[in-house]
Parts: sequence; C-alpha cells; structure tokens
Amino acid sequence: MRIRIDHKICTGCKQCEIACSLAHTGSVNPWRARIRVFVGEEFCLPVIAGPYTEAACNSKGTRVFDGVDVDACVVCRASCPVKSVYKEPDTGIPLKCDFCGDPPNPQCVQWCAPQALSLIEDEQEPRKEKAG
Amino acid sequence: MGGLRTSAMFGWTGKTLRIDLSREKIWVEATPPYLMHEYIGGRGMGDRIVFDEVDASIDPLGPENKLIFATGPLTGSGAPAASRFIVSAKSPLSQCVSSPCCGGYFGANLKYSGYDLLIFEGRAPAPVYVTILNDRVEIHPAGHLWGKEASPTEHAIRQEMKKDYNLDLWALNSMGIADIGPAGENLVRFASIMSDGGRAAGRSGLGAVMGSKNLKALAALGTGQVRIADPEGFCKAVMDFYKEGRDSGEFYKRRRFGTWGLPGRANASKSQATNNFRAGYSEAFVKYEDPEVTRALIRVRDEACFSCPFSCGKRSRIKDPDYPLTAKGPEHETMALLGANCGLGDMEDICRANYLCNELGMDTITAGTMISCAMELFEEGHLPEKDLGFPLGFGNTNMFKLLKMIAHRQGIGDLMAEGGIAFGSRYGHPELFMGIKGMGIPAWHPQAFDALGLQYATCVTGGSHTKATMPFYEGRKDPAFFVEFTKKDQDYIAMADSGVLCWIIYHGPLWAEKLSEWLHYVTGNDQTKEELDRLGERVWNLERLYNMKSGLSMKDDNLPPRITTEPRVKNRVVPLDKLLVEYYQWRGWDERGVPTREKLKELGLEKEGAGVI
Repeated sequence: MRIRIDHKICTGCKQCEIACSLAHTGSVNPWRARIRVFVGEEFCLPVIAGPYTEAACNSKGTRVFDGVDVDACVVCRASCPVKSVYKEPDTGIPLKCDFCGDPPNPQCVQWCAPQALSLIEDEQEPRKEKAG
Repeated sequence: MGGLRTSAMFGWTGKTLRIDLSREKIWVEATPPYLMHEYIGGRGMGDRIVFDEVDASIDPLGPENKLIFATGPLTGSGAPAASRFIVSAKSPLSQCVSSPCCGGYFGANLKYSGYDLLIFEGRAPAPVYVTILNDRVEIHPAGHLWGKEASPTEHAIRQEMKKDYNLDLWALNSMGIADIGPAGENLVRFASIMSDGGRAAGRSGLGAVMGSKNLKALAALGTGQVRIADPEGFCKAVMDFYKEGRDSGEFYKRRRFGTWGLPGRANASKSQATNNFRAGYSEAFVKYEDPEVTRALIRVRDEACFSCPFSCGKRSRIKDPDYPLTAKGPEHETMALLGANCGLGDMEDICRANYLCNELGMDTITAGTMISCAMELFEEGHLPEKDLGFPLGFGNTNMFKLLKMIAHRQGIGDLMAEGGIAFGSRYGHPELFMGIKGMGIPAWHPQAFDALGLQYATCVTGGSHTKATMPFYEGRKDPAFFVEFTKKDQDYIAMADSGVLCWIIYHGPLWAEKLSEWLHYVTGNDQTKEELDRLGERVWNLERLYNMKSGLSMKDDNLPPRITTEPRVKNRVVPLDKLLVEYYQWRGWDERGVPTREKLKELGLEKEGAGVI
C-alpha cells in the first residue's frame, strides 16, 4: 500500500497536516505533522515524511514539475538536519509517516476533500521515478 | 450559558498581543473571559474592543484609532472553512465600526503563535513592519518597503525573514503575511489590507487605517498548537461533514467553479450590476454565463484558504506579458464591479483591473463603483476631459490609469481617494455614486430583489455583501417573510463572523448548528443555538450603538436615489421607506431606528446603550 499524491488537484488547504497532527498527538499543530504541503503559485506539493537521515546533502539540486523548477529539498521526504519540517518542534525528534497503523488507515487521505491523496495498492499504478 | 473552562484552555489561546506603535511597546495580556463567553471571537471580540477602547468621535485615520486582528476559537482548529481572521477598526470610509473578514494562512499562523487577538494602537514615527514568530514579536523599519506594491512587499519580507531569522524554505512557505499597497500608504479611503498574494480584508478602508499607523505589513509564523477538548468527537464530526459535502457534490461544485458560476445567475435574475447600476443585465457577460468558459480561459489552480475543503478561490493568469504572474481571482464581485459595471466585457481586461487593485491594495468593489461613477459623470458631460487628462466612457480601458492615479493620489485621483460622496459632490452629482454610507454597492442589483435593497441599506458597515446573504438560497424568497429573514440573516452572519466561519459556505440556521457543534468539540463549552442567535443580535446591536455614537442615524440607512426612484430593472424600485418601518419593528428598534431600552436589556447591553439612546 502507498499513498498516491496528485499535486495537480491539491488546493493547499492543509487539512492533511491537521489530520496527521490530530491523529498522532491529539492536538492541532501542523508543525507536528508527518505530511506537509508546500504551497506554490502554479501548484501545491504535499510531501509525506520518509526516513530520517543524519547527514545533510552536499549537493543541492532542483526537480522540474510541470515545467517549474522546484528546490529538491522541498520534495525530499527525509527528516534531516537542515530542514525545519518532520521534527517535533519542541524536542527535535524526527518524524515519519506510519500510515496511521496497521492495517493502514491514513487520516490525511480521509481529510483530503479534493482527493489529491488516495490510498492505493502498489501494483495499481507503475511506480514512477520519485524525486528526491 | 454554560460555565467557561478557563483553567485548561481549549480552542482559544487566552492571550492577547498588544503593540503600541507610538512607543514601540509590545506586551501580552490575558484575553478577558467575558469576551470569550459573550462574544466568542473574531468580529464579536474585535467590535467589542473598538466599542470599549476607541472613542466614536475620533478621526479614523488618527493615532487614536485601533486596528484589531481577531481570530476565533475555531481558527486553526481544523474545523472546515473556519480559519479566517477579522480585522476591526473604525472605518475611514463610512465612519462605522467595521470588521472585514479575510482568508489565507495569516489567521491560523496568528493563532498558532499563541494569540486570540492582536491589537495595534498609536502611530509609528516612521514606516515599520512587524513579525510574529510565536512569542518572539519584533518591530522592524520598513522605509525601504514603503511605496512597494503588495506582492513585492511580501516577497521582500520573506527574503528578510530568511536572513534575519535563518528560516528555511518550508518555514517561509508556511507563514502568513498581511500588508498594504500604495493605496493604504496614501490613505485612500477604500484601501484594503492584502494577505497572502491576493486575499483581502477589503471593504471599508482599513488599509488606510493601517497606513495611517505607518504599519506596512505584518508577518506571522506560529509553531504552537490549538488544543481540542474532544479530539475523537471532533474528528468524527468533521468526517460526517466531509461525507455530506462529497455526497451532495457541494465540494466538487465549489472547487470547480468558485464564484464563477454567479455571473450566469446574476444575468438570469436580472441582477447583474451593469454600467453604474443603470441596468441589471450585461450583454457582454453572456459569454461568461457558463463558468467552464471562465475556467478554461484563466484558471491556473484551485486555491483554498487554510482548512477549507471547498476551495472556492482560484489562481488565474492572462496572456498579457505585462502581467506575468499568477494572481488571485477575479471573484464574482470583482468581475461585476470592475467589469460589467464599468462596461468592461473582456476577461483579460477584468483580470488586469483586478490585478491592479490587488497590487495597489484597493477594495475592488468600491473602486469599481468609483470608476463607474466617473464614467457616467464623463458621459453625461459633468466631468470635463481636462480634469481627467483622458476620455473615460463606459468600457474605456483608461480606467487602469485612473486606478493607479487614485492609489497614488495623482491629479483627480487625489479627490477620488476621498470617496464617492466627496467626488460626486465636487461635480454636482453625488447621487451618481452608487454607494451606501460611502461604501460601493456590491454586485447584485438591489432592484432585482427588494430584500437585497433592505439588506444593503441597513448594513452596519455600509453597502456590504458579506453581512447578510439573502436572497441566494431556497426558502428565503418568499416576500412575506424577507424582512424578518433579513434581520435573522444579519444576526446569523454576525455570529458566524465571531466563530470565525466562512460566510460563503453555510447558510442561515446552518451557521448556528455547525458553530454550536464545533464549539462543543473544540472548546468544550456548550452553547445552544438560541444563545448563539442572541450573540449575533447582540453584536449587531452593539455595532448599531457605536455607529450612532459616531453620528450616523436613520438617514444613513438609505439607498442611492437611482435604486429607490428610477425603475431600471424589472420596471420596479425598492420601496425602502416602507421596508425600513417593518425592519425596525423586527429589530425591536423605535421608528427612528434606535434600539429600544427593552431590546438592549434583553441583549444585556443596557450599560452600553446609556447615553446613546
């Protein structure tokens, strides 16, 4: 199972951040969420926290989305030393997505009104080359 | 009313941030429990503070006026379409207490920073901007930003915050900014406060109040929390609401078209403000009656406010290389007032006008009625071309020049910046300005629905479309009841604005139902629908009392003579005098529109009414 992201549909309402924070902490604080939406002019990019990495990248790059250059740090899923996201704001403990338990029932998908996020089987769609 | 749990604060943060710009003093106070108890938040709290702290006789553009940014208990909580913020102050345009509402991310960030309210007083000796990062609140010089338009200002502030606070891309992307453009700096009386790249607390000229305080912008980034009293119940309530929204197709419809479906409805009901309200039907807008056309023409993406599943906002782009960026809107009100009402029938032109107003920081509705007034004065020969410097008939794109002249107070723009009544009077025809209490009439032609005329005329802040929603939904069209409904609807919105729920989504009694339900889960306080109804009425009456102190009276509950005497639409006029009598009765006011002692007693406003009535 994985969460499919369709950035063309995302509206930037950030309800997924709130759903995540509510499910994991019982309070509402997007800074404690394991999913974060990057709001751009042309489109918004929801990014789901992946594994923690101890080291910052030496090289920085960009990725192209729909003809727009996006800083690779934005689409990188890692919790890392140079980014403010995917960490508990008070303690700095890194966070990553756990699909809200087993069996997976991700709350961000439930709270996504435009359905930019959906839970799908891995084989439903060939996995594209992921950025970051 | 149920007891308020203040020991463990849910929903509210319980803190009020005050900034005295004259003395560069910043301090935090406890939010008074009675404000949470009796006024909930947003408009209720903001207006109450204006009532208590701002003398009604002052000049709104003087340092004595206060500028209040208010959130509500639901702001940032995740309650759908409930994360807007309210700005309250005494309006320089209508002299009323006014409380425009704005979406975007600023409200939620102010809340996550830990504040229910942010109150500015005094006047900075030189231009400044203010940054709020949780409890780190700082005042920075803004001389270098003065004169910049809205988007460049936001961009510059982000760059400076990146440097000063060492913020990364994500943090900069998450924050909310509210700022003014050149119109606010130059004290244009209908300047708006802009936010997050094209959203606006637009009506009633609070941008000029911000400008008068030498406050160019404020930026907020909060990393704190909103505590929820019953998270499980809240989640379930939100999920039920989502299911309803999906099943009914309401989510889809709003997201797909936003307000772009309204030109079709306006033309169909002959209520499309056209050529300075001389008609209720626009030939030029027939091509935009199908919202798919507008969508295909200019849409870039759907843009939601924080926490909103409906996302009626649209980012748009036109092909003109002079306007390369994407911009917010245009919304229906803007399309009507800057478009049909000024004789513009081309979407690209309307987008240009919208873009200009947003960047200059001007209310598109009042600006539209100002321009259409100038156009009619010009066509009728009252306004000579030498005063303008160019011809300006209906549909003439010289209006773009005029918009810039107003914002920068150049030439005739200096006079127009003082508002429609001053401008119209100078050329002998104040009645050609289609405004109420100085504020331009919104997009819907009042002659199409009597109810609308009554709603505009009696609105506490001037000609506003956001203080009642009639007659746009079913069950409200019966003429036998619309006076009663006008009163109820105004109270409903006063209550919703105190929540702060988005007025475009919920209708009538649904506001009370949803607000009551979500307040229960978020704050743990139970407020019945009846209590909430009473709260809305209390806010409305309090605003009325303030306006009376400010010198307004029954004669200001009026409509332009064009609406009451010239049958332009459906061959009818609005019989306002007759409607007012009935309306005042429903309100429990006397025949001069003054709240009676009994009514004030019922609402717990006896003390406030003393010396006014």
